[in-house]
Amino acid sequence: MPIQILQGTLDLMILRTLATMGPQHAYGIASRLQQVSDDALNLNQGTIYPALIRIEQHGWTQGSWGRTENGREAKYYTLTKAGLKALDEETERWRQMAGVVEKLLAEEQ
Amino acid sequence: MAGWRRVIARLRSLLDNKSAEEDLAREVASHLTLLTDDFERRGMSPEEARLASRRAYGGVEQAKQAHRDERSLLWIEQTMQDLRYGLRTLRKSPGFTIPAVLTLALGVGACTAIFSLVNAVLIRSLPYGDPEHLVYLFSPNPSLKIPAEVICPSYGDFYDLKREAKSYVDMSNFEQAQFSVAQQGTTQRIGGARVDADFFSTLQSMPELGRTFAGEDNLQANTKVAVISHSLWVSMFGARPDALNRSIQLDGANYQIVGVMPPEFEYPFKSDLPYGDSDIKSTQIWVPLALNAQARTSRGIGNNVSFARLRSGVSIHQAQAEMAGIMARLDKEYEADPRDADAGLTREWGALVESFTGISIGPVRPLMRLLLAAVGLVLLIACGNVANLLLARAAERGRELGVRAALGAGRGRMVRQLLTESMLVGVGGCAVGIVLAVLFLRLLPKLDPGNIPRLNEASLDTRVFLVAIGGSLLTSLVAGLMPAIGTSRMELTEFLKSHAVRASSAGHSRLQSALIVAQTAMVVVLLAGAGLLIRSYINVESVDTGFTRSAVTFHVSLDQRYSKPEQHVAFYKDLMAKLEALPGVQAAGSVNYLPLTNSESLDFIYVDGFDNKDHQQTEGRDVTPHYFAAMNIPLVAGRYFTDADASATANRPVIINQKFAETFFPNRNPIGGRITGDPKRARWWTVVGVVTDVRHTSLEEEPQRQMYHASYDAGDASVAVRSTLPPATVANEIRVTLRSIDPKIAATNVLTMGDMVSIATARRRFQTSLLTVFAGIALIMALVGLSGLMRFSVNRRTREVGIRMALGAARRDVMLLILRNASVMVVLGVGLGLACTWIATRLLKSFLFGVGQHDPFTVVTVSVLLVVCGLIAAFVPARRAASIDPMQALRTE
Repeated sequence: MPIQILQGTLDLMILRTLATMGPQHAYGIASRLQQVSDDALNLNQGTIYPALIRIEQHGWTQGSWGRTENGREAKYYTLTKAGLKALDEETERWRQMAGVVEKLLAEEQ
Repeated sequence: MAGWRRVIARLRSLLDNKSAEEDLAREVASHLTLLTDDFERRGMSPEEARLASRRAYGGVEQAKQAHRDERSLLWIEQTMQDLRYGLRTLRKSPGFTIPAVLTLALGVGACTAIFSLVNAVLIRSLPYGDPEHLVYLFSPNPSLKIPAEVICPSYGDFYDLKREAKSYVDMSNFEQAQFSVAQQGTTQRIGGARVDADFFSTLQSMPELGRTFAGEDNLQANTKVAVISHSLWVSMFGARPDALNRSIQLDGANYQIVGVMPPEFEYPFKSDLPYGDSDIKSTQIWVPLALNAQARTSRGIGNNVSFARLRSGVSIHQAQAEMAGIMARLDKEYEADPRDADAGLTREWGALVESFTGISIGPVRPLMRLLLAAVGLVLLIACGNVANLLLARAAERGRELGVRAALGAGRGRMVRQLLTESMLVGVGGCAVGIVLAVLFLRLLPKLDPGNIPRLNEASLDTRVFLVAIGGSLLTSLVAGLMPAIGTSRMELTEFLKSHAVRASSAGHSRLQSALIVAQTAMVVVLLAGAGLLIRSYINVESVDTGFTRSAVTFHVSLDQRYSKPEQHVAFYKDLMAKLEALPGVQAAGSVNYLPLTNSESLDFIYVDGFDNKDHQQTEGRDVTPHYFAAMNIPLVAGRYFTDADASATANRPVIINQKFAETFFPNRNPIGGRITGDPKRARWWTVVGVVTDVRHTSLEEEPQRQMYHASYDAGDASVAVRSTLPPATVANEIRVTLRSIDPKIAATNVLTMGDMVSIATARRRFQTSLLTVFAGIALIMALVGLSGLMRFSVNRRTREVGIRMALGAARRDVMLLILRNASVMVVLGVGLGLACTWIATRLLKSFLFGVGQHDPFTVVTVSVLLVVCGLIAAFVPARRAASIDPMQALRTE
């Protein structure tokens, strides 16, 4: 079943993806997210642009144009030092949040 | 950090929108291509793959728009919304907007005007290169009872200093001089200076045209060259460049013009020298100071002013220490000038190095500080008023803000909205304030006391503008922040419960009352200050000057054609006789220095039959016999001078003043008493009369001991004429008379003694009127604030008043209730203000004359004035409260 993305979590997922895969273009990131979620994420490929610009404006990534293996040109996003730090913080925050929700749900049962 | 970077990135993309758009289109296209490639790889036909990639991507335009929204500066749009909304609401409530903008404009206007004055006088530099390094060199002598900044080193000492001192890059000497300039049949006296070759280079001033002096111009006395000022160049030569080849006639001799100085250079200004020639307002012409070998090594007191440029890195202290060392050595090396030694003057010339800026600006520095403090208080009161108005408004709008909050407006957004409004008020106030400041600056020169350097140059420059804008924005920010924070802190639910609005605005009203009390206190301080200055001014104005203010005076200066004493005597006898023969003229007489002209001549004296001390001094004046009658200086004992007294050779008669008589002839008759300037030679003067005291130096200083000699022998003199005719007629007759004697001699500085008194009191008038204006503005602002607050409080309490009246309260009771409220605040404010005044007036002490800093009359007057004005301000809202219809009041809300 397709799920909606929680606000703010898309940024975290993109940061994580870049940390895992290294410099990547928007299509690569979108494909990876779809793949990881076993197509559960109802993600229009175009949805990730606002998130990408937001992350770039924060200085967490740096974009540069390059070529894919097939010779297509694409804009590659590279994680910066600040991006790595932000990833750690966002991950920590997500874990806390998820933990709280999880605990709450466990009590209710 | 990251937040800032994001804002900057957004700003950059806003500025660079086109390339950002291209980048986005390229990225989207690349994304679609990669998608299509992928679908093709999975076995789709190119056409199918293209369609599939579009589907998978979603709307291309939506994606782009989402990207753009994220990229663009959303808050700019929101700010525009806030601005539009703010402007609309401000326009809808003129009752708030107009007083708020006007108050702020008054505060900012006053502040800007005074700041531009201070900027011109204190901050902007003098018209010389690097003025911080320029210093005057003085050599005070302990045996002279005069201020230290009067006498500069003698020429001999100066040139020794110049050879030995290491502290200076350049050193120069000049003497002030007045020249008669003949032009188209009339003669004009203009101020000038004889300067040495290093004068212009020490000041680092370059001519606008031509050259300044070369070394040989000064060495050869017969080289007659001159540098003229820009204004003389314009008035005499019509600003023609060929002026350089022409000559100018000074005191009958031709000087070739070699250079023209730029417009701002008229050094030495009257106000720049501590004890300069007060007749020279500005310098228009410079000629070489031609000194022969004898003059260059003279060790006697001269008329020269010495100044120098400090080597960079050398402090004034170091320079002074060095000079002191050299002067001490010279004191040992040279004997005192025998003439000086006779008068008791020892060769003990000290060293005093003072900065140019300190000398020229020092005397007005306290005044500038006083004005800045006063205007700061005015701005604070304006700030308080705007805050008060905003608070009242926020409370009145409680319901509206509550609804907006309920509809989902965030706290930050609401604070921003309120701040935007107060900023709009600030911008409006600033704009009107600058207009007011310009008007004020136009008026300022009319108040010119004449002794504030560079007052005319006060104008709005960038620095002043920045201060005005910064001041008003800061004011509106601070004033707007209080209600904004207070409002946003309120609980949403309270907003929506109607009675809670009143509960929450009680906090507001306490803050507002505190503001009113603080404002009242500041007004008390300002009013008390102004009151003390006004009393001082009245005291100075009513000082007994000792002379009549109606006497018309003028200055004459005889040129080289009159070189012998007989010629002087003949000229002045003729002039006095012709003047006294004029219809309506009662008496005419001359004196070497008129009272209040900032000129002083002191004599050493020795009194026969008195326990004489060293260096006894008296003010000494040379007068023609009818001077006392012309100035209306009454005789106390003995007789006035006669013409025979002026030519007496032995036992020359003198007239002394009462102060002199009290000091040197206690318990004995001064008439017939003997005085001498030189006990060794014992050429005695005999006292023939005692006259009343005259204020020679200033109105605010007690008269000194004075002694008058009778003489017609003078090269320069001031003439006083007492007449029953109007001063303008007398002045005209004086000019005609002078022309009939010698058309080449001009009457300068034609003024009545009343004018002189007015000039002498000008600075006091200046500071008094400015402070009074500020106090008045402050009072009006505070009253407007108080009245506004009372009106607001009446509105708020309409229902309460209705209930009281329904329960039988009389209208009078309601009025008293409101008035009592107001008077509590005013009385508290007055009390607090008086406490502050007690401390603050200590700073005013040096400005006062004949009145104590805690003058009870002023304190009582100010307190009564404020209480009465406060009650009047509260009266209108109080009457409105009393006229409330109880039935209608109960129906409100």
